Amino acid sequence: MTDVIRTRALAKSYAGRPALRGIDLVVPAGVVFGYLGPNGAGKTTTIRLLVGLMRPSAGSAQVFGMDVVSERERVQRRIGYLPGDFVAYRDLTGEQYLRYLANLRGGVDWSLAQTLAKRLDLDLGGRFGSLSHGNRQKLGIVQAFMHQPDLLVLDEPTSGLDPLVQREFLALVREARDQGRTVFLSSHVLSEVEAVADMVAMLRSGRLLVVKSVQGLKASTVRRIDLTFAQAPPPAGLGAVPGVREVHQEGLTTHVVLEGSAASLIQAAAPYGVELIVTHEPDLEEIFIAHYRKDV
Amino acid sequence: MLTNAFTKAMRDQRRALVGWTTGIMLLVLMEAAIWPSMRDMGNIQQLLANYPEAMRELFNLEDFGTGIGFMNAELFSALMPLLFVIFGISRGARAIAGEEESGTLEILLATPLSAARLVLQQAAALAASLAVLATALFAAVAVLSPVFGLGIEIGDAATGSLAMALLGFEFGALALAVGAITGRRVVAIAVASIAAVAAYVLYAFGKLVSAVEPWQPLSPFHQALGTGPLGAGLPPTYAWMALAAVIVIAMAMPVFERRDIAVH
Repeated sequence: MTDVIRTRALAKSYAGRPALRGIDLVVPAGVVFGYLGPNGAGKTTTIRLLVGLMRPSAGSAQVFGMDVVSERERVQRRIGYLPGDFVAYRDLTGEQYLRYLANLRGGVDWSLAQTLAKRLDLDLGGRFGSLSHGNRQKLGIVQAFMHQPDLLVLDEPTSGLDPLVQREFLALVREARDQGRTVFLSSHVLSEVEAVADMVAMLRSGRLLVVKSVQGLKASTVRRIDLTFAQAPPPAGLGAVPGVREVHQEGLTTHVVLEGSAASLIQAAAPYGVELIVTHEPDLEEIFIAHYRKDV
Repeated sequence: MLTNAFTKAMRDQRRALVGWTTGIMLLVLMEAAIWPSMRDMGNIQQLLANYPEAMRELFNLEDFGTGIGFMNAELFSALMPLLFVIFGISRGARAIAGEEESGTLEILLATPLSAARLVLQQAAALAASLAVLATALFAAVAVLSPVFGLGIEIGDAATGSLAMALLGFEFGALALAVGAITGRRVVAIAVASIAAVAAYVLYAFGKLVSAVEPWQPLSPFHQALGTGPLGAGLPPTYAWMALAAVIVIAMAMPVFERRDIAVH
């Protein structure tokens, strides 16, 4: 099986300022690939190079073995693309817009577009100009999925979606993967990617830091967890528990910095009557720094 | 209706086209309705003889005594060309650059629709919409000429309207091309407008200043209006306007295909 995406020293500068500093990215077929990085890391730049909206300043990118510059239209035939800031024509209804795109692409099964809209709870009768941000994003998702592309390229797809719709969206992504399609999605939120991706690449300042399986990433991710006890915290403290890096006591609440699995920590804390567990979304910067420490 | 970029562009303009055709036909009706009283004034030629020569030259006032001369002076040498050029430039600037600035180009060009085909379809839509305006102009002149005794033949009405459409197409194509190259609507409008004003100034000065006269044929306004446009038949100079439009669009296509699409 050939790789779906393969870039060689792919670089892009805007007016001399480098946004992407030569990345070598390989995305195998049939996986959900999370492309993670803080804002301004070069995620959107990579994506717009892959879908043929920009040309590389140096290096090259191939999708399905075809060069994204010289064989642009052939690549685009097989891609579904959701931009980070999706905009449709204000005066067209969802149905009119989707039918227009379906006509441009050709060979779209219209019933599939309707099914997608129904699953995301999107009314196709409303004009784009009158839609809420969430509904606009839903329309963007439908247009990306409706022609059943072999590769889905989604730039921050869940922004603006409420949790229920997010879940349905993630189901769509998994189904696409189970049908053998490849999904490349970017995010600056780790939990979002963790929930659905098989592999994760991390990008910072235009450089690719790591490419890992999600399992591997979870095992090494450092999280902050606050445990609030009903009576009193364990007298011996939680510092000796495997994986715990730091402990900080504050009244009935213990702030823990944990690396990897929380199984041992929960086991150790449970006998003391845990009233509340709060886990904080790990900051991408922290993860990067943790990885740097190990890699260097 | 929304089968490709051409039909989409035509659909987008449907209201504008109704408005513009109505306006153009009303203008023709107004001018045509004035003609009988002008003709009956009799001493109009004497009156005009007192006008400065520059003015008589520029607006073809010499021929004011005939229906054709009257319509040329009143409508076809300034107002109509202006309207067609404005329509062409605003439509041409919107075709690519407008769509890029609003953000909708992002999805459009991520489909297998190629950048070159998009430019061609937009240029075709520009030509088609100008053809609609020209047809309305032609119909109004052809119908109202016998009603008000203007004496304008069907053929004259047709070629005069064609001249207006070609003039609009040339500057509209320039705006489309600049928009495709720069991605900026304001730049497209500015460049095409400046070119149109410069071309008109060249044409006007060519009439008034003999030193400029040899350069006058370079101006699209001279090519369109120099011999009429009503009553001039089908002068070969019309071909230059179409050719210039084709050239600027052909120049813009490879640039548009190679450049990055702006993030709005």
